[in-house]
Amino acid sequence: MYSRHTLPGKLLRHLLICGMITFALFPVLWIFSASLNPGNTLFGQAFIPENPTLRHYQELFNSPRHPFGLWLWNSIKVSGIASLLTVSLAALGAYALSRFRFRGRRTGLLALLIIQMFPQMLAMVAIYLLLLEIGRHIPGLGLNTHAGLIMVYLGGAMGFNTWLMKGYFDTIPRELEESAMIDGATHFQAFLQIILPLARPILAVIFILSFIGTYSDFLLPSILLTGTENFTFAVGLRLFILGEYATRWGIFAAACMLGALPILVVFLSLQRFLISGLTRGAVKG
Amino acid sequence: MTMTAILFKILLLGVTNALGIWAAVGLFLAGSWLPLSGLVLGLVALNFAVLSKRAYPLRYLLPGLIPFFLMVVYPIASNMAVAFTNFGTGHRLTKEQVIAHFESRFYLPEGGERFTYQAFRGPAGSLILLLTSTVTGTNYLSERGILQAVELTDPRFVYDGAEIVEINGHHRLSRRELVQIMGELQELSLQWGDEAVRLVSLAEFGVARRQYRYDPAEGVLTDLRTGIAYTPVEGIFTSVHGERLQPGFAVFIGARNFTEIITNPHISGPFFRIFTWTFLWAFLSVATTFTLGLALALLLNDPYLELRNFYRTLLIVPYAIPGFISILVWGGMLNVDFGIVNRILHDLFATKIPWFHDPLWARVAVLLVNLWLGYAYMMIVCLGALQSIPQELYEAARVDGANRIQLLGKVTLPLLLISIAPLLVGSFAFNFNNFNVIFLLTGGGPPIPGAITPAGATDILISYTYNLAFGAAGARYGFAAAVSLIIFMIIGTISAINFRLTRNLERVGESL
Amino acid sequence: MKRAMALLLGFTMLWGLIGAAWASRPGVLTIWADSTRAPILAELSPAFTAEFGIPVEVQEVPFGDIRARLGVAGPAGEGPDIIIGPHDWIGEFIADGLLEPLRFLEGMRDQFVPVSIEAFSSGGEIWGLPYLTEAIGILYNRDLVPAVPETYDEFIALARELTDPERGQFGFLTNIPQPDPFHSFPFFTASGGYIFGLDEEGVLDPCDIGLATEGAIRGGHLILELITAGLVPVGTDYAAMTGLFNDGKAGMILTGPWAVADARAAGINYGIAKLPAIEGQPMRPFVGVHGFMVSSFSANKLLAMVFLQEFIVTKEAKLALYEADPRNPAFLPALEVVAADPDVAAWAANEAVGIPMPSIPEMAAVWSAWADALTLIVTQQLSPEDALRDAVARIRGLIGC
Repeated sequence: MYSRHTLPGKLLRHLLICGMITFALFPVLWIFSASLNPGNTLFGQAFIPENPTLRHYQELFNSPRHPFGLWLWNSIKVSGIASLLTVSLAALGAYALSRFRFRGRRTGLLALLIIQMFPQMLAMVAIYLLLLEIGRHIPGLGLNTHAGLIMVYLGGAMGFNTWLMKGYFDTIPRELEESAMIDGATHFQAFLQIILPLARPILAVIFILSFIGTYSDFLLPSILLTGTENFTFAVGLRLFILGEYATRWGIFAAACMLGALPILVVFLSLQRFLISGLTRGAVKG
Repeated sequence: MTMTAILFKILLLGVTNALGIWAAVGLFLAGSWLPLSGLVLGLVALNFAVLSKRAYPLRYLLPGLIPFFLMVVYPIASNMAVAFTNFGTGHRLTKEQVIAHFESRFYLPEGGERFTYQAFRGPAGSLILLLTSTVTGTNYLSERGILQAVELTDPRFVYDGAEIVEINGHHRLSRRELVQIMGELQELSLQWGDEAVRLVSLAEFGVARRQYRYDPAEGVLTDLRTGIAYTPVEGIFTSVHGERLQPGFAVFIGARNFTEIITNPHISGPFFRIFTWTFLWAFLSVATTFTLGLALALLLNDPYLELRNFYRTLLIVPYAIPGFISILVWGGMLNVDFGIVNRILHDLFATKIPWFHDPLWARVAVLLVNLWLGYAYMMIVCLGALQSIPQELYEAARVDGANRIQLLGKVTLPLLLISIAPLLVGSFAFNFNNFNVIFLLTGGGPPIPGAITPAGATDILISYTYNLAFGAAGARYGFAAAVSLIIFMIIGTISAINFRLTRNLERVGESL
Repeated sequence: MKRAMALLLGFTMLWGLIGAAWASRPGVLTIWADSTRAPILAELSPAFTAEFGIPVEVQEVPFGDIRARLGVAGPAGEGPDIIIGPHDWIGEFIADGLLEPLRFLEGMRDQFVPVSIEAFSSGGEIWGLPYLTEAIGILYNRDLVPAVPETYDEFIALARELTDPERGQFGFLTNIPQPDPFHSFPFFTASGGYIFGLDEEGVLDPCDIGLATEGAIRGGHLILELITAGLVPVGTDYAAMTGLFNDGKAGMILTGPWAVADARAAGINYGIAKLPAIEGQPMRPFVGVHGFMVSSFSANKLLAMVFLQEFIVTKEAKLALYEADPRNPAFLPALEVVAADPDVAAWAANEAVGIPMPSIPEMAAVWSAWADALTLIVTQQLSPEDALRDAVARIRGLIGC
């Protein structure tokens, strides 16, 4: 589909992309500038700070009531575990939907997708009370626990994740498993040893999407996590901006910059899987 | 299966069942029937899945379905239940909680006597109190909950100077210890003649009378102080003359929340306008992010373009910043007088766009921010999908003399849409309910001049109803639940139709 | 083989019947406070624990969340014993039965600034222990403005002199266009506007709304003039207003004590003044009172009251609170100590003519309609008469009058 570019064509392409990058990165650069600016406002000052300082970054790690480093670690931990489990659950479900024929297969998947479109306005209260109840009977799994929070995230594991994976699995020829099963392997062994390795790209895709999704989420953790030491990064950030009257932008911006790093790291290291991963899953047949 | 595998399976099932039964017993004893039945159902399904050969696929689906039912289906079900009640401000508690609340109220009658006190604790943990009336100076000893008059010369008292340090083997408690047993002290009700004496503050006991009594047989709550009787009317105890007691409790009100949606002019009036904008908003969000994402994907897919990987990495960054942060930053950047966007526009073109004050520009603003937030996802998806289109198709089309535009339109786009269509449907549904951007950026505004309803120019169904449910007079959860249900039915229907359409698309693609 | 497996299954299932239930015990005081006050309490409470041996746990909860969560957490048994918040929360809380009346304050009424007890009173009971009062006033830059005029006409004339948009300098700024109805209130009250009128029994009547009276409309016009005269840009929000002031680019701003800390940190030579009078009538701002409230679902009610009575209602504690968060104390003994500070006197002058914010739940409808009316006024899409009349009609419709 592509052919060599002429010089004007080349220039045009690069220009367009650079324009787009400006649009994409402008707000980010603004946050970065605010994190270095001594004041506490975001927009009163010039784009390039006159007296850049690292004070806000230092403040982040020096307030005992706001253990930012701990919050970051909590976020990484929760998102990491939730994403791993999500990938596992989605893979299991996708395998069943792809390989087995049973009644209600297609409708079931459709129902799954549509049910998740229910507006989440009031789900929070119900989930809060549910976890409260669970916590009364199963100690480690209730309110203010990371395990409880992860469990809530797992509720969304089946859905578009499963659909994407199913599509991908569909493109893996069955002969591979069939020959393994003739040799005496069970379905599950075929799943573990043949399908999963081949599906590494799509597994990485779902992992990244789940990680980013759970990492940026602040609604659920702010309701379910009540102790400061259990907060995730997003919840802690909210403390900074929900001060009674004004936003402490300096510290807030510094926190944003640092908080975005784990995501970027995860993303950059798994980036190559993303591209080839979505290819096979997308096409049926 | 090998021996170890079977043993492992049995052990796992056994442990799970053990935990389940342990929890079930707890639930049974606590009388929580709904969670109990959920747990039992789950356990049965689990055992069925593991032990039955026919339910083999269930083994793969169950681990994902259990949290799904728990965390997604259950809240939806409870949402639906709440929709038929008036749960909200003034009706937050259960009937039992309200009755308990009133029955625990005490009042101190006018002229009621007060007592200073000293407390003594015995080795077995029993408590003796010595009360001294502030009015008559008489001393009383509490024994088994009854106050009996005593003289200070009582032989049971042991003195140290002028202070009593021991009574009947019970040692005097210090102030600090008193504070620590506050909880125990506040529950005491001592009988004094035919009055009751209770702890009123850290320093005093006082005559206290119960203020309310509930008669379960008649269902009547009586104020013992005034004699007025209250019966529950829609969750609020009301007297014959119309006096209402707060708090109230949540009651079933049938389909009233739903009929209100239809009959209340505040809701039915702007409904079509808001619905139209919501639909447009979702549609344009998907259309703009998809177009931009696809355009970028096409550009970045070009093997002849230099610095592709570098560009790709930079363009992903917006997706990595948490949404609520980006939205706030955009809000500031688009400030009419002080935002950087207008400052640049003013310097270059001498104009300032009334971003949040003009309905049209406010809509542009929310779409613009949503575009910034969402193009990266679409770009990633398209990049992937583009890889899967077989090169042979392009070559065949080239041979037939197609130019670049025709290649794009006749080969790339159709095949792309087949694979991406369900994702687009999902994105449409997501944006239909995308509360975040609207709420944080414009709050639904700007207001429409002359409107009697609180619907702003950028309000979508869910943000508007959120305002109605929570921004009028306290929180109305029942109403909000009913609205959620209606919105779900709308978007569910639209999505189901769309899925049906895309399925037909697939059939077309299969023949290629 | 099968028998062995069945036995194993049964045995492991037996384990399940041995369960242990546990619940948390009371005897610990839990306080919910936002990020401004949590650190102060965390510092103060060890003294209480040392004296009485009761541990005190201060949980930092974002300001807005305290209000939302009490209603869910309290009845569910997961709530705190004490919360700190503004007085206008009590309307909703009382309707939901979430607060315990503080009877011990009955005998201590005269130890507090009168309006503070009034703000926390409802239905004959006192529901909160006041600790600070606040009202907005004029925060001004002494280097630009030697003295703030006492009449509105002179005030505006001075503002005009100082305003030079080309150089980014402003005489008077306010964030009313944000929209912020709270700060616009003084304009409405100066000529007789009000929010809720009182009925025969002296209780707020939600159906008697005074936002479209002649006086209120006059106030709306005054606000519009600020925009049309070029004194206040229509995009001015709180961040812009305080940002410009702290950069020394604004002479006078309309704000409250919370903005002083940043001005001090920015090195501005600031002063605080009373709001000017409009045609002899004072501009009356809202008075907000913050205090400690006890949850009715607390397992430690009397203990909480002991904490409040023995520990918080002391000159020392109140002064400590003041040191960390300089807003006027509501406790008279503490107020006397700091009264020498000219700032305190200036804020008190504004509070003296202030009106407590209404605390009934119907206020929610008022805020949103009022905010929309302000937006329509400052963007000149509707005249003040039309905008305010529409707002009142809308409020009445929403409340159900």
